[in-house]
Amino acid sequence: MIKKSYIISIVVIVSFLGISATWVISKANESINELPAVIKKVPDFSMTSHIGENFNQDSLLNKISILDFIFTSCPGPCPIMSNNMRTLYRQYKLHPDLQFISISVDPEFDTQEVLKNYADANGVNDERWKFLRADMESVKKLSTDGFMFMSESLPAGHSVKFVLIDENGDVRQYYNGTDDGSISILRTHINSFLKNLKKESV
Amino acid sequence: MNRYFNFSLLSMVFTYLLIFIGGLVRVSGAGMGCPDWPKCFGRWIPPTSLSQLPDYIDPEKFNLVLAWVEYLNRLFGALVGLIILITFILGYIHFKKSKKVFAPITVAFFLTLLEGWVGAKLVDTVLDPITITIHLLLALVIIGLIIYSAIQAYYAIAGNFESKSSYHPHTKPIILGILICIFIEIIIGTEIRGGLDMSRKENPLIEGVILLKMLGPFKYMHTILGFTLLGLTIYLWKIVNDIKFISSSFMVNSVNFIMGLIITQIILGEALVFLEVKPLMQLFHMWFSSLLVGLSVASFTFYKISMAK
Repeated sequence: MIKKSYIISIVVIVSFLGISATWVISKANESINELPAVIKKVPDFSMTSHIGENFNQDSLLNKISILDFIFTSCPGPCPIMSNNMRTLYRQYKLHPDLQFISISVDPEFDTQEVLKNYADANGVNDERWKFLRADMESVKKLSTDGFMFMSESLPAGHSVKFVLIDENGDVRQYYNGTDDGSISILRTHINSFLKNLKKESV
Repeated sequence: MNRYFNFSLLSMVFTYLLIFIGGLVRVSGAGMGCPDWPKCFGRWIPPTSLSQLPDYIDPEKFNLVLAWVEYLNRLFGALVGLIILITFILGYIHFKKSKKVFAPITVAFFLTLLEGWVGAKLVDTVLDPITITIHLLLALVIIGLIIYSAIQAYYAIAGNFESKSSYHPHTKPIILGILICIFIEIIIGTEIRGGLDMSRKENPLIEGVILLKMLGPFKYMHTILGFTLLGLTIYLWKIVNDIKFISSSFMVNSVNFIMGLIITQIILGEALVFLEVKPLMQLFHMWFSSLLVGLSVASFTFYKISMAK
C-alpha cells in the first residue's frame, strides 16, 4: 500500500499549489475585469450616416461604441482595420448594445453612396455599424479635439486606433486597430462593459 | 554519479512545477501578459507603471498582474533550463558511455531549448492554439525523457532493483497502451480547451457550460477514452498485484498512483462538464495528466529494467 507520509505530502503539495493558483487566478481576473478609467468626454458633433440618418453625440448614449477613422479608398491600414472591425461586428451580432462607428476622413470621395456600398461590402445588414461623413472641417475637429488624434495630413495620415466609448459618451480606451493582441484586449473590455451595462439596466 | 541522479530528480520536480505555472498562465489569461519576447515591454524586469512603457508598444496591452504572471513563467522557465543544462553536463561527466542514461537527457536538453523557442513563437502568433498544444506536448516529452534517464541512472547506481521481479506478459503492451491513450486524451483535451476559447470569442458573454454543450463530438471521445483508460489501468493493477507474479514496490506504488490519478481525472473532467468550467479545475485536470505521463513512463522503465537481468 502507499505510505501514509506519501499521501500527506501529496495533499500538502496539491493544497499549496491550489491555494497559490487560486490567488493568482483571482488577481488576474480582477485586473482583466477592471474597466479603464474615463479619459474625456466626446464633444458635440453632427454627422450623416451611410443610410442618411443624423448621428450626433447623443447617438452614443446608452450604448457601448467602437469608433475608428477610415476612408474607403485607403490602400494602407484601413483594410486591416475594417477587417478587424468586421470580425467584431460579426462576433457580437447578438448584442445590439454594442455599436460600431467608422468616420470617413475623405468626405469628398466618400459620398453617402460610396459609404453605403462600403457597408454592403463589409456585410453590414443592421443598425449596429454606421459609416459617417461630414465636411472635412468637422471631421478634423472631432478627430483632434474629440480624440486627440493628429489631423494635419488627412486623409492618408489618419490614426489606426479603435476608440472605446462608454454608455455616457466618454472615451475609455484606445486600441491598435491593426494588432491582434490589442484587439483581443478590446474584446475582453467590450465583454466587461457589456456586462456592466446589463447590470445597470436591470 | 549520485550528483547526476539528484539533479535529474531536481529537473523532474522543477519541470513539473513549470508545467503547472504554464497551465496557470493559460487559465488566468496571462499568455499575452508580455507582448514581446524575451523581454517584457522592452525591459528585463516588467514595468510597474504605464510611464515605463516604450513608445513602440501600445499602452492598452499593459496589465501589471498579467505581465508578472507571464514573466514568472519565463523566469521559472529559464531556471528550469539551467537546471536541465547542469543535469545534462553531469550526465556527460558521469554517464557519457551509458546510452540509456545519457541519450534521453541529451534529447531532453535540446528539446528544452526548442521549447523556449516555441514559447517565443506563442507570443509572436498571439497564442495560436496549435502552438499551445505543441508547447504542452513538448514539455511532456521532456519530462518523460528526464524520468526515464533518472530511473536508468538509479539502476546504474543502486544495482538492479527489479532483479527479483517477474511481470505478466501483458504488462508492457498495457503500459504502452495507457501511455498512448493518455497522449491522445491530452491532444483531445487541448482541442476541447481551444474549441471553448474559439466559441467563447464567437459567442461572447455566454456561460462556459453552454459553450461546452455546443462543442463537437470529440468531447464524448474524451470521456469514452477516459473510461477506456480506467479499464486498462484496472487490468494493469490486477496483473501487477497478481500473486503469481512478483512486482517491485516501485511498480506497485507507481500503478497505485496511476489508478488514483485516473479516477481523480474522471471525477474532475465530469465536474468540469456538469458544474462549471472553473479555471482551477482545468489547471489541475491538465497538470494531473502530465503526472500520468510521468508515472506511465516510470512504470514502463521499471518493466524494462526487470527484463534486463
